[in-house]
Amino acid sequence: MANKNKKYIYGIYDDADAIMDSVHKLRGQGVEIHDCYTPFPVHGLDKAMGIKRSNLTIGAFLFGALGCTLAIVFQLYVMAADWPMNIGGKPNDGYYPSFIPVTFELTILFTAFGMATLFFIRTKLIHGKVEQLVDPRQTDDLFVLAIEEKSHNFDKEMVNRTMIDGGALEIRERELEK
Amino acid sequence: MSYESPIREPLVTGGRTASDVTAEICRPLENKPSKLWWLGFTLSIVCLTILVYTLVRSSFEGLGLWGINKTVGWAWDITNFVFWVGIGHAGTLISAILLLFRQKWRMSINRSAEAMTIFAVFCAAIFPLFHMGRVWIGPVWALPLPNALGSLWVNFNSPLLWDVFAISTYLSVSLLFWYLGMVPDLATIRDRAATPIRKFVYRFLSMGWDGSTRTWARYEVVSLILAGISTPLVLSVHTIVSMDFATSVIPGWHTTIFPPYFVAGAIFSGFGMVLTLLIIARKVMGYENYITIGHLDAMCRVILLTGSMVGLAYITEFFIAWYSGVQYERYAFLNRMAGPYWWAYWSMMTCNVISPQLFWVKKWRRNPNFIFVMSIIVNIGMWFERFVIIVTSLHRDYLPSSWVMYSPTLIEIGIFVGTFGLFFTCFFLFAKFLPVINMAEVKSILPGKAHSHEAEEVKQPDLVTQ
Repeated sequence: MANKNKKYIYGIYDDADAIMDSVHKLRGQGVEIHDCYTPFPVHGLDKAMGIKRSNLTIGAFLFGALGCTLAIVFQLYVMAADWPMNIGGKPNDGYYPSFIPVTFELTILFTAFGMATLFFIRTKLIHGKVEQLVDPRQTDDLFVLAIEEKSHNFDKEMVNRTMIDGGALEIRERELEK
Repeated sequence: MSYESPIREPLVTGGRTASDVTAEICRPLENKPSKLWWLGFTLSIVCLTILVYTLVRSSFEGLGLWGINKTVGWAWDITNFVFWVGIGHAGTLISAILLLFRQKWRMSINRSAEAMTIFAVFCAAIFPLFHMGRVWIGPVWALPLPNALGSLWVNFNSPLLWDVFAISTYLSVSLLFWYLGMVPDLATIRDRAATPIRKFVYRFLSMGWDGSTRTWARYEVVSLILAGISTPLVLSVHTIVSMDFATSVIPGWHTTIFPPYFVAGAIFSGFGMVLTLLIIARKVMGYENYITIGHLDAMCRVILLTGSMVGLAYITEFFIAWYSGVQYERYAFLNRMAGPYWWAYWSMMTCNVISPQLFWVKKWRRNPNFIFVMSIIVNIGMWFERFVIIVTSLHRDYLPSSWVMYSPTLIEIGIFVGTFGLFFTCFFLFAKFLPVINMAEVKSILPGKAHSHEAEEVKQPDLVTQ
């Protein structure tokens, strides 16, 4: 059973600059960072950890394109194909500027909700999920650096020393069932 | 990590640390509400009751209870609709446009401004829905569905239908933006929760948020894209509202200047309402270190800018009416200025054009009492603007035999007062149960840890003297 569980080592900090320095140092030593938990977005920390820029923007664009297409097709179907209305003899057989507002709004609507849905799926956030915290203050004023024990180039002594030297208040270990 | 300018004033004063932020912003949520809160909440509930009463009567007895007539078919209700939608513009403007412009002062006011936006749109929606008369079936007419008899659809050429799409998109995207921005803060409240019920509710709402940097990285991307798409959205909403008028053939409405003019007016009135609420909230809830005089100053500058744009639009509109040479157009504007509703016109001019110019004076821009009075004046002025545009253009139409005067009935006044009840009831509940200031964002703009005790000394102008 033991090999199915994952062991993590956590460094707890109270300063964003300190955790950033430690991440830089550990990465310099070739240690893989599992994650960092911070009460607010620490700018540059994601890059320091080696996280690639999210592809959510592509998803957002595709959803936007879908919304736009649906709006155009639907308005054309209603206004030109299914029931063309004779309004003062004006042309009613194609896409006209008066359809732009609705096309625009539906593009925005689909982009926003499509992207948000992708975000929640990708980050596995869902109503009713029970949070897994290292410390209850990680959403208040503490910063947590998490490293998986079996990760590449892992040397417990060295990692501990780097984190303590880097200003970690304490080091914790935990095993999580996976 | 972040550069602190010695010249700009700090966005958070009083040497606050991250844990101070959490403790202070969670305080109203975790304690029993004050007497002042109960007083305000009770008053709002009383007004809300008036809303329910007047709406029930309007639904059961019909719109004959309103002062509208054959000539003035749109009056009080659409005035109030545009008034509330306008107020609903500040929130998304603050959180979206100011995000794109990297204006960090938005961070302590965006949450409450967004909440205000959403509640204002609720209030706005009441008016067109009830103006349809049969409110139990009305909303269905606005949906893009074929009718029961055949396949007669809604008309996509109609600006009123564009408005349905614009307002509903705006409401839902604003709700999403507001909620998404709140998830990290809800997690903070969850982790401080002392009672099981509180823990359960906030755990449900915070969706298992743990502050992972992998999540934050994506969250930042989502916020940026949402801001990017909300910026044209917020501008489109009032543009489309203005098209309800501008695409018609009524003198005084049929103007191409309407979209930018309405958008500027909406931002103007929205910031007016934000100031009214925040000046009270910062005092009552003790948030003066987060919503500083500097924040009020910045908002007053927005008011000054948009107020001037509105003033320019009024004058342009007037000039073009004369320059067009169209006698109906000329008459409509003369009638506004010197006709029977002259008092409404001049109230609007005084409140919207002259009074915001007082904000050129820095001392007044930094005086909360003065700003509070001004914000009320701005709101009154913007209400009159809509009343002037709608009623004075309609009450004397092309046919002098059908000229009438319009005045609201008690029921109509009751509905308007009632929407304030709805608005403030929502706002008081928001202030009690949700974090009024975005804690996570405010923590990210605190002066660095090493400097936290020097926050007050930032004013020392080292760079200038050397």
